[in-house]
Amino acid sequence: MAKEIERAGIPVAHICSIITISQTVGANRIVPAVAIPHPLGNPRLPPGEEKEVRRNLVKKALAALQTTIQEQTVFS
Amino acid sequence: MSYARPHAGVQPVTHLWRKIPVSDLGFSSPTRLEDGKLSIDIDELTGLLQSDPNVREARLAIARPGESVRIIPVKDVIEPRLSLIPGVPVFPGVFSAWNPDVDGIASGEIVSLSGMVVTTVGSIVGFQEGLIDMSGPGARYSLFSGKLHLVLDVTVREGMGRHDHERTVRLAGLKASNYIAGSVMKHPPRTDIRETLVNPESPGSPASPGRAGGKGKPRIAYLYMLQSQGLLHDTYYCGVDVKTMPPRRILPTEALFGAILSGNCVSACDKNTTYHHQNNPILLDLLRRHGTDLEFAGCVITNENVTLGDKQRSSTLAAELVASLVPDGVIISKEGFGNPDADLMMNCSKIEAHGIKTVLLTDEFAGQAGASQSLVDTHPKADAIVSTGNANEVTVLPPMEKVIGDDRVITTLAGGSSKSRLPDGSIAIELQALIGSTNQLGFERLSSRFK
Repeated sequence: MAKEIERAGIPVAHICSIITISQTVGANRIVPAVAIPHPLGNPRLPPGEEKEVRRNLVKKALAALQTTIQEQTVFS
Repeated sequence: MSYARPHAGVQPVTHLWRKIPVSDLGFSSPTRLEDGKLSIDIDELTGLLQSDPNVREARLAIARPGESVRIIPVKDVIEPRLSLIPGVPVFPGVFSAWNPDVDGIASGEIVSLSGMVVTTVGSIVGFQEGLIDMSGPGARYSLFSGKLHLVLDVTVREGMGRHDHERTVRLAGLKASNYIAGSVMKHPPRTDIRETLVNPESPGSPASPGRAGGKGKPRIAYLYMLQSQGLLHDTYYCGVDVKTMPPRRILPTEALFGAILSGNCVSACDKNTTYHHQNNPILLDLLRRHGTDLEFAGCVITNENVTLGDKQRSSTLAAELVASLVPDGVIISKEGFGNPDADLMMNCSKIEAHGIKTVLLTDEFAGQAGASQSLVDTHPKADAIVSTGNANEVTVLPPMEKVIGDDRVITTLAGGSSKSRLPDGSIAIELQALIGSTNQLGFERLSSRFK
């Protein structure tokens, strides 16, 4: 999906738990997520801290979209 | 870690495997084996299983090869076994505390009933449980179609969560297996097939040969990957949930007495049931060929986790443990599909980084037409792969006269869909819904061809 959207000329940030898979599949902007069962959150954290984790992931993805890259890049 | 008891010196641990053939099953009292026919006291076994307060009802049924029977949804398949090894129970760590590293494992005998299995079914717990057909086209895809089945259809008490449900059914299967093996061995039959399996020397022992051996035979190690992602994708080693433990070496014959068992309710086609672990053909072939055309360097078990950090940590540790066995080459088998492909590639590339060759066993999810990318992760070092088939391939299974379990779940199994039911009562379903069809330990005959 990431590749098809980029083929249409829209940059994609792929938030992905196992970044090696994202690299193999060919995403260009890769943002490491938390874990396979809960990529965008961490249920073990108190709600306040978890909200921060989620907010930071989105911020990182937005920053990745605004960054010029020459090759596959992991925004960790 | 020591494999042998301290006083055993450098003698390798040797296990005599006695296989008692079972040629038919029936219900009558008492539970006994006569002329190859296993009779089961249905009241005694049902009473034993229902003594667990979590079991509301346990119904027993028999299925034989060639019958028009479908068993669905299958949770586990177990071969009844008994350990005659002093101090070593079968399914160690499950019904009694057990720590193989304290005293080591002694030589001795393992007894198994061959030709029959205990199969557990019940209302669906995980969405990827599967089916066994005892005849018809589905029977081509599973060794289990050729076995006699004592099927336990277990209903648990109401309101029970999925994990407790899975555990209750798992323990019921193991209890039934122990009950049958124990009952038969009260009057051990004279007919049996015997095989002696000699484990490799513990690495570092004076008798352990060096790499590319003094004898010129290749040293081959085995990295045995176990699915352990939680969410009902679990495997247990000596009663310990594998996702909570680091990779470790095991004595290869430990698998024979049930040290590794399945609590895995997913990925029907490529999950390892307890039977698969008990009879792992990679381990058995390496043990049988040890000292003839190759030296078996040893076995390391490792897990498949849900975070990148855990995958990286386990693969680094697994590669170091494998390298400590000083092998020339390593066989790696995977369990499950999808993200475990990433574990497989990390294990492969990190072992290759030690200068050791690898060969990988994996199935493929290449789409129904077989034209899609078949693994979600790859690595340039993964250049020797044995494929165990395309799990997305569709097969049509005719209706069976009898269903043991509940076949209403067929459209919700992974591999099935709302379109699975055909007007004539057949089902069109992907191989992934058939238990063990693309097993990655090499049990079945499927493979894939590159066009």
